[in-house]
Amino acid sequence: QSGEFLATGDKGGRVVIFQREPQGEYNVYSTFQSHDPEFDYLKSLEIEEKINKIRWLPQLHSALFLLTTNDKTIKLWKVSERDKQPEGYNLKDEEGRVKDISKITSLQVPVLRPMDLLVEASPRRVFSNAHAYHINSISINSDCETYLSADDLRINLWNLSITDRSFTGVSDIVDLKPDNMEDLTEVITVAEFHPHHCHLLAFSSSTGTTRLCDMRSRALCDQHAKLFEEAVDPASRSFFSELISSVSDVKFSHSGRYLLTRDYLSAKVWDLNMEKKPVETYQVHDYLRSKLCTLYESDCIFDKFECAWNGTDSVIMTGAYNNFFRMFDRASRRDVTLEASREVCKRRAVLRPRRVCIGRKRRESDICVDSLDFRKKVLHTAWHPTDNIIAIAARNNLYIFQDRHSPSGHHGVHRIEQETPPQLEDTPPQ
Amino acid sequence: MEYKVEAHRIMSISLGKIYNSRVQRGGIKLHKNLLVSLVLRSARQVYLSDYYAGVCLNAQHIEAKEWELMDADREKLIPESEAAQPSSADCGVSEAAQPGQTRTTGGAQLCLKRHVGAEDGRASRLQEKDSDSLDPSDVAVTSPVSPAISETQCGSSDCETDADAAVTEGDSRQPPKDHACSHRKRSAEETGVSETPVKRTKVTPNAIVANNEIEEGEEMDTSNVSNLITIFGSGFSGLLSKDSAKSESETDDSDSGSGQICCEQMLKNLNPWTTAIVAF
Repeated sequence: QSGEFLATGDKGGRVVIFQREPQGEYNVYSTFQSHDPEFDYLKSLEIEEKINKIRWLPQLHSALFLLTTNDKTIKLWKVSERDKQPEGYNLKDEEGRVKDISKITSLQVPVLRPMDLLVEASPRRVFSNAHAYHINSISINSDCETYLSADDLRINLWNLSITDRSFTGVSDIVDLKPDNMEDLTEVITVAEFHPHHCHLLAFSSSTGTTRLCDMRSRALCDQHAKLFEEAVDPASRSFFSELISSVSDVKFSHSGRYLLTRDYLSAKVWDLNMEKKPVETYQVHDYLRSKLCTLYESDCIFDKFECAWNGTDSVIMTGAYNNFFRMFDRASRRDVTLEASREVCKRRAVLRPRRVCIGRKRRESDICVDSLDFRKKVLHTAWHPTDNIIAIAARNNLYIFQDRHSPSGHHGVHRIEQETPPQLEDTPPQ
Repeated sequence: MEYKVEAHRIMSISLGKIYNSRVQRGGIKLHKNLLVSLVLRSARQVYLSDYYAGVCLNAQHIEAKEWELMDADREKLIPESEAAQPSSADCGVSEAAQPGQTRTTGGAQLCLKRHVGAEDGRASRLQEKDSDSLDPSDVAVTSPVSPAISETQCGSSDCETDADAAVTEGDSRQPPKDHACSHRKRSAEETGVSETPVKRTKVTPNAIVANNEIEEGEEMDTSNVSNLITIFGSGFSGLLSKDSAKSESETDDSDSGSGQICCEQMLKNLNPWTTAIVAF
């Protein structure tokens, strides 16, 4: 949460944590296996070990705590450093073998001696068996005591200290499951707590609506306090209208005044006080609108792109295809498309803005819609909470970019430099 | 007309996705399947509205003959469906299924067969009716059954607008069909398939469309019906071979599984195209 650490999770259930060095670079701090594949014998289903979400807890002391989740189980990990080890045991020698008691002639008190830094990750809590469907989000409450986990139909509220469900460590706060599954019309796609108000949470659905719920008014938030939905233009209806309106990510602004939602083709900024329509709409890749059928066939239309705010809530960022990611400056309405790929990015190189054109290329840096590589998608992006440093996950690689010329405040669009691109698998940076 | 082709293509793709999601690692993804079913529904609506605008069929005299044939086929199929386990020889579809499939496949094939059997009876019954009211008995029958079937049957009754309420033939079919339906449901439970997320079609808009189009005659395409007969007459191995022949000529997709092949074939017939959903 301070921005010093960046956590990434991959399809293999591994979590890698990066730490920011004093010089500004991020290097690997710790790696551990968070989740393993499991098998649900009751349903004869395999549970994937793929990490769906990672969330940091606010750091209270030297150890780091983070929550990781796969489809069914959430784990709380403690990552701590150890730089001293006790030496001089009476009953064991240095290798740990038990000493012969008859050989001990004197007693000594073990002392702590410095050692090479060891970073250990240990699971402190395992929250399992609470979700019948696939978990899609977790969010820590601002009270730092509770957190929510959301699957397709339910949102559960957990207490971080209690893992056993029977002690009301978890309760349903939202339940969208209809009595008859045939009547199912929408599923929950993302949920998040408000950054300041511990009673407010937002969740969005596959129908393109985002609901704000107040936990004070009802223990079970079936009735929403606010519903954010934009009327769909009937002229633009197609077979896929419902599909592309499904919200893939929702993020509160740092200030808590705005909500950012991402659907397939656009990103919208909503004012919490206005439900009828967003205050700003940004088209991320509208040129794909005519290609929806092809994208449907290739399953690309189901890709869930995340979005992010910068520290001052002045710029929003989200990913696209061909390893492109886009940043939109809210005040100036300027936007930029950048690419995160090995060919383009060398260390310390400045990224050039790219452009996607529908017709013929007008400039060298342009790329035609038909030559976009849809296998290269930037689903996960993260922005440093205070500085202009961003992390972009593209397939196997993590790219970290920094804006050197304006460390904070207004974002200089053309001056992005790249730092180390380590090799990772399908990472959601946090 | 190109909308129809597009809609048809989208429907076949959607069915393929639903089928494939059964064998995906990690279990059935509710969200994705819900979205796919929504696309399927939109495509189907366009396809059917296009269909009404198109050919007007005069299959009445042919119906009588087909009626008898179908009757015989249906009688044959219903007793089969009452059997506890389908033999894999009976179901050509299951033969084509991957050997590594779990019990789910077996149960699904069971569903497939029964559903087709029910559909058959349904189609024949609908053919000779002329009223434009929804058959409440049909709706009643479909309600305990998995959503896909109800969607199909409601949809077909809507669109065809031929369903008649509680006619004698309907009555005679109800008990065996109910039985088949309950079998279907039980088999779905047995295989441990978790809630199928297929969305139930909203009946009302279709009904309105159907009512308006009643003058256009029966919806059932003669060629489709004759296909049905050929398929059911020769058993499910016939289904498979006919599918291969049909899909080669009509589609350029390379179908990977038997479910896919079934999809292609079923799409030629308006009713049982959700058979794959049943299998799912």
